[in-house]
Order: sequence, then structure tokens, then C-alpha cells
Amino acid sequence: MNRKGKIGLALLLGALGTGGFILAQTQSSYTGPKVEITYLHGFTGPDRPVMEELVRRFNETHPNIVVKATAQPWGTIWQQLAALVASGRSPDVVVINEDQITGFIARGALSELAPAELRAANIDKNRFYKALWETADYQGKSYGVPIHSVALAMYYNKDLLAKAGVAKPPKTRDEFLKAAQACTTDRAGRKPGQSGFDPKNLETWGVGIPTPWMGGTIAYSVARQNGTNLVDEKLNATFNAPEAVEAVQFLVDLVGKYHVSPANATEQSEITAFRQGKACFNFNGVWMLSQYQGQQGLKFGIAPFPRLGTKMDAAWGGSSHLTLPRQRAGYDPNKRKAALEFISWMTQPAQNLKWTSAGGLPTQPVVAQDKSYDNNPMQELFEALPNVYPTSGYPWVAQVRGAWDAAFEAALLGKKDVKKALDDGVNEANKQIEQARQSIR
Amino acid sequence: MSARTAQERPQRKGSIFALNESNPLVPYLFLLPHAIFFFIFTVYPVGYGIWISTHRWDPLAPTQPYVGLEFYRNLFDPSTPQSQFFWRTLLNTLFFTAVSVPLLIAVALGLALLLHRPIVGRAFFRAVFFMPGILSVAVMGILWKWMFENQSGLVNIIASEYLGLPRLPYLTTEWLAWVPIVVGTVWWTVGFNMTLYLAALGNIPQALFEAAELDGAGSWARFRHITLPLLAPTTLFVAVTTVLASLQLFGQSLIITGGGPTRTTQSVIMYITEEAFSNNQFSSATAMSFVFGLVMLVFTVLQFRIMARDMQGGMR
Repeated sequence: MNRKGKIGLALLLGALGTGGFILAQTQSSYTGPKVEITYLHGFTGPDRPVMEELVRRFNETHPNIVVKATAQPWGTIWQQLAALVASGRSPDVVVINEDQITGFIARGALSELAPAELRAANIDKNRFYKALWETADYQGKSYGVPIHSVALAMYYNKDLLAKAGVAKPPKTRDEFLKAAQACTTDRAGRKPGQSGFDPKNLETWGVGIPTPWMGGTIAYSVARQNGTNLVDEKLNATFNAPEAVEAVQFLVDLVGKYHVSPANATEQSEITAFRQGKACFNFNGVWMLSQYQGQQGLKFGIAPFPRLGTKMDAAWGGSSHLTLPRQRAGYDPNKRKAALEFISWMTQPAQNLKWTSAGGLPTQPVVAQDKSYDNNPMQELFEALPNVYPTSGYPWVAQVRGAWDAAFEAALLGKKDVKKALDDGVNEANKQIEQARQSIR
Repeated sequence: MSARTAQERPQRKGSIFALNESNPLVPYLFLLPHAIFFFIFTVYPVGYGIWISTHRWDPLAPTQPYVGLEFYRNLFDPSTPQSQFFWRTLLNTLFFTAVSVPLLIAVALGLALLLHRPIVGRAFFRAVFFMPGILSVAVMGILWKWMFENQSGLVNIIASEYLGLPRLPYLTTEWLAWVPIVVGTVWWTVGFNMTLYLAALGNIPQALFEAAELDGAGSWARFRHITLPLLAPTTLFVAVTTVLASLQLFGQSLIITGGGPTRTTQSVIMYITEEAFSNNQFSSATAMSFVFGLVMLVFTVLQFRIMARDMQGGMR
């Protein structure tokens, strides 16, 4: 790179307010002849211009690599990737999400990122949050580098909490229950436990637990806090373990026993209730932050998902990973090296910092410490980032999550008791897993 | 026949190299453009589909072993999730069809009768009732999901704040969850059927009504004995197309209820999509498609039978 280019790059990065990260940027690990690589991702929302800007900067700073980026809806990518790989026409770099990645690895769609390759491209896995990096691991090998991270969070209404006499957002089950009860009144102004309290007509309440996917996500988080996962180490479904039953029972009790949650909540109804100042708390993804910030007159805060379980801190997380799909024999090794340089550059702290301006969370602790977050409410979540656990690591996330979400829904709506619902769900999931195993190597 | 000249009628036989219409290949050449597309987009996929459904097929797998009718058998083995969910979602779909088709016919006919009269603003109302049909299913779905939202939906707000009725959790209650789907579908597609009926009403000779009136027929008798029988071909056409469209229910359920609560509004096409693209069980999904295709075929044959019989009856 010539002097002019270096100055230009420094100015560019300086403009980002990321002075501390400049040094890591100037060395490209790819020194071969000029190559063109294709890059497929699903960032088609408001994050798309940010991604396109990053690709443009990469192309400007890497004269010997041309990245051609394509954005497609995620669902289309999942439907097409298998056929693209099978026919040897896969893009060089593809972004895959946490719930899909293990399936694609196990079906042989992705190539391993060998430790030597990662070293050569200056990709250090220790730089990232551990659980986030391991989302793209399978049987001890790495297949992807995290570029995007989201997590379940708790939003709280500051005015309602002040009115209810709650000084700070709750962190534990007891604190949460107390706060939620203080928040809940029926239309006649009665509190839960008072005579005549009508739980069917709530004026304000603690938190609504919706179904199916968002409810399953919340329940998964509480089950993880109880120290259990949806699958065991043989990757069979085990979400009827006592810890999971306890977690689901607690959430069901929020409606039927503690009366701090309206029955029949939906994700949308809870978002509306939180916007209207009826619900003290809202459990949803970090992606809701900008929507709530746009709500006039809503004074709210964001905090890590509280410990509603009994053993440890945990919350559901989602993530996107840069991967190298399997290519046909005779694939240009220079393209692979260039692709690794692209992955390396994209996941450097400076780029991750820029990327989080689109609403994602930092993928690495060093980014989370950046001063530019000082006035950003999102930073309240950073201390909890090491405790974020994506639904990943088993090739049948869709089957397991489908059965789990349905079981939780049946329990929450009172169609089955909790134990029976989860037993049935595990039974269904394991039948599906047995079938899925037959098409996996 | 022998008296006719060659100009009037093409020769029986010509060379296949002849450059005029005597060439026996001519009719087939006329059919060829359609045949090409028919083979590429219908015959070949169906054949490949049969192959996929009898093999354990995954584009990424190195081998695609033959499994015979295993995936068809799964549908009839009560211990598999496939048999459980396929028949359940098929019943859901049939229920939706049974409820929505009569509504889509009756409401369309009612609107057409009202808008056939020379009332003020007729063209405007015709346009208004037709217009929802030009929306995409995504727009229509989100709209009706909001309308019937459990807490904040317009329907529940009106019911509870103005009419003093209890709020109904439409989206999370079995059976009630069909209400937004059926109402939304009727609102969305009734305009098309209405337009067909309007065209048919315009074709009924006015003289028939005048004659009946002279004979002392009241308005109900005129509707029952003139309008309805003469609309029969249209009704059957509307019924066939509406039944086929209803059996293919997908987007409305997907967006309004997501198939919930607990799969009670999941349509069979939704389940087949889930089996293929969430569970990656392509062969199983293909087998289900064939069974479901067969069901649709049976319905269509039945309706064509009825149609043929009725048309003969109506020709007198």
C-alpha cells in the first residue's frame, strides 16, 4: 500500500472514532495476485447499507482483492446453499446464522477453518466471546468466525417502576417477582393477592410471556439458567429434565399463580403494551432498542435478562458467522486465502465497532470497552455478553426448537401440564432427530 | 368428400419434408412450444419428484440411497411425527376450505347482486370491493393480524371499550384463531369472485325477468328460478377455483397465526414446507406433496363430474 493510501485509510478509520484500532488494519495477510471473491449475506434490513459500506472499505484498502457482495433474505440462502454447494457453484464466503450453522457443518456444506489458516490470517479465536466463537464449532473443529451477535434482553419502564416503588431493575428471581407484583394492578386498582383481584382485566402488569418462538426463547434462557440445555452430549433432546420442567413451570406460574402476567400474550401485544406504558418489563431481543427509542414519551432502560433460573446467569443469543463453503476440486487456493483475509478484516475490532452501529452487539470484549458506547444504553448488556448461549451445536436445531416451542406453548396455554408437555415434546423431537441422523455423516 | 378440392382441404398425406401444411408434422409443431415448457416444468419435475420421494435425498449427501416407499409408509404409521402432523394439518386445511368456500361464494354473490343494480356510486363500490385482491398476502396478513391482536387489536378495542364485550384472545385460542384467517381471506379474495358474478349477471336476458314478472313471480321467485339457475355454470367455476385456492392455504396462516396455537391453524402446505426446509427432510416432504396432490386431484375430479352433470341439466 502506498503512502497516500495509508493516509487515506487512517483518515477513514479516524473518522470512525476508532483511533485505537488502526494499527491492526494496515497489514493484509494476502499478498498473491489479484482475485475476485463472492460474498453472500442476509443483512437486508437497515443493516444492509452498513454492510455495503464495510465491503466498500475493504475493497478500497485491498487492491488485490475484489469482493462482490450479494444480499438475499436469510430463508432464501438456507434453501439454496445446499444446492449451490452440491453443484460446485457456492459463493466464496457465506454468512450463516447460529440456528443453521451446525446443520450445514454436519451435512458437509462447510469447510473447516484450520488453526494454521486462522493464524496465517491473523484470526485469533481468543479475541471473541467464548460461547459466541464456539457456536460455529463442531466436533472440536472451527467452521466460522462471528460477525454479528444479538441477545435476549430485558427492557424496563422507568416511570412505571418509580410509581411501583422499585428502585433498580431486578437481577434475580426474587427481585423480579417482587417488582412484577408491585407493577401489577387490575382495572379497579387492586393488587394480586387482594380480595376481588381480577387477573383477566389487568391495567398494568409485570411482564407478558408470549408464544411460540419468543416464548420458547425466554424459556430456553431460564432453562439454561437452571443449568440444563435442550440436548445432551449425544445431541438427543432432553428438555424434559427436572431443571427444564422447573424453568417452564416458573414461567407458567407468572400467569396462573403470581398473576403478574396477562394470559394469552403475544409478542406483538407485549411490544404494544410496553410502548403504551402498561407493562413494566418486556423480554425481547436487543434489536427492539431503536424501536423503543423512537417511542415518544416512553422512558425506558435496557438490562441483561434477569436470573429467573436458580443456578447461573444465561440468556439466549443469536449470531451470524462468516464461513467458507465446500468448493469443487481444483478451487483456486488464492481465493481461499483472500477469503480468509476478508473474514479477518471484517471481524477486526474497528469493523465490529462500525457494524454494531446497525444494532448488533460487540463480538469481542475489546470492542465492548470502546469509549464510543459511553452514552449508548446498549452497553448495559455488555457485562452479560459472556453468558450468552445461542441455540446451536446440534445439527437439528429446527426440530428441537420446534418441539420445544410447541411444548412450551401447550404448557403456557394450559393445554397440558408442564411435565407432560415437555415429555411429549422430547418424544417428538427425538423421533425427528432419529430421522435427521440418517442423512448426516 | 371426394368432390372437394385440394384447396378446400389439406391433403391427407404429404412428405414430412414438405414445406406446406400437407406435412403431417404440422399439428405437432404447433403443439411443440407448449410441449417444451410442459415437459421441462411439469413432466420432468414430477418424474424427478417421484425419484426423490423413493430415495433418501439430500443434495449435500454423497449417496442418495433407495428407500422404496418408506416415506409414503411413514404417513400411514401412527408412531411417526409425519403421520401425526400431515393428517392433522390436512384436516386443518379441509376445515378452512369447508368454512371459507361457502362464504366466498355467498358473499361474492350477495355483493354482485347489490352492485348489479343501478345504484349511486356503483363503479366506486365495485372497485372498493375488488381492491383488497391486489394486495400481497404479506400486507393482508399483517393487517388482519393487527386487527385481531389479542390486547391491542382494533376488534378487541371496539368490543371492550365501546360494546362492553369481553376481549377475545383470537390469536392464541384454538378455533378462534381461524376467525382472522377466514375473515381476512374473504375480505382479500371475495372481489374476484364478485367480478365473475357481475359479468354473469350482465349476461342474463332482461326479458326473462319481465316475462316472469308478468306471470306474477315475486323477487325471491325470480332470483330462485331465473338468476340462480342461469348463474350455475359461473357458480361451479367459482367453486372449483375457490376450493383449489383454499386447499393451498399458506400465507394467511403463516403470517397471521404462524400456524398456532399448537399447530391448530397450520395448513398442510405449511407443514410440507417445514418438513423440507426446516427439517431438511426433502424426500419425506416430496412424498407428502404427492399424497396431497392426489387429494386435490380427487376433489377436482369430483367437482368436474358434478359440473358436467349440472351443465347438461342446465342446457334445456
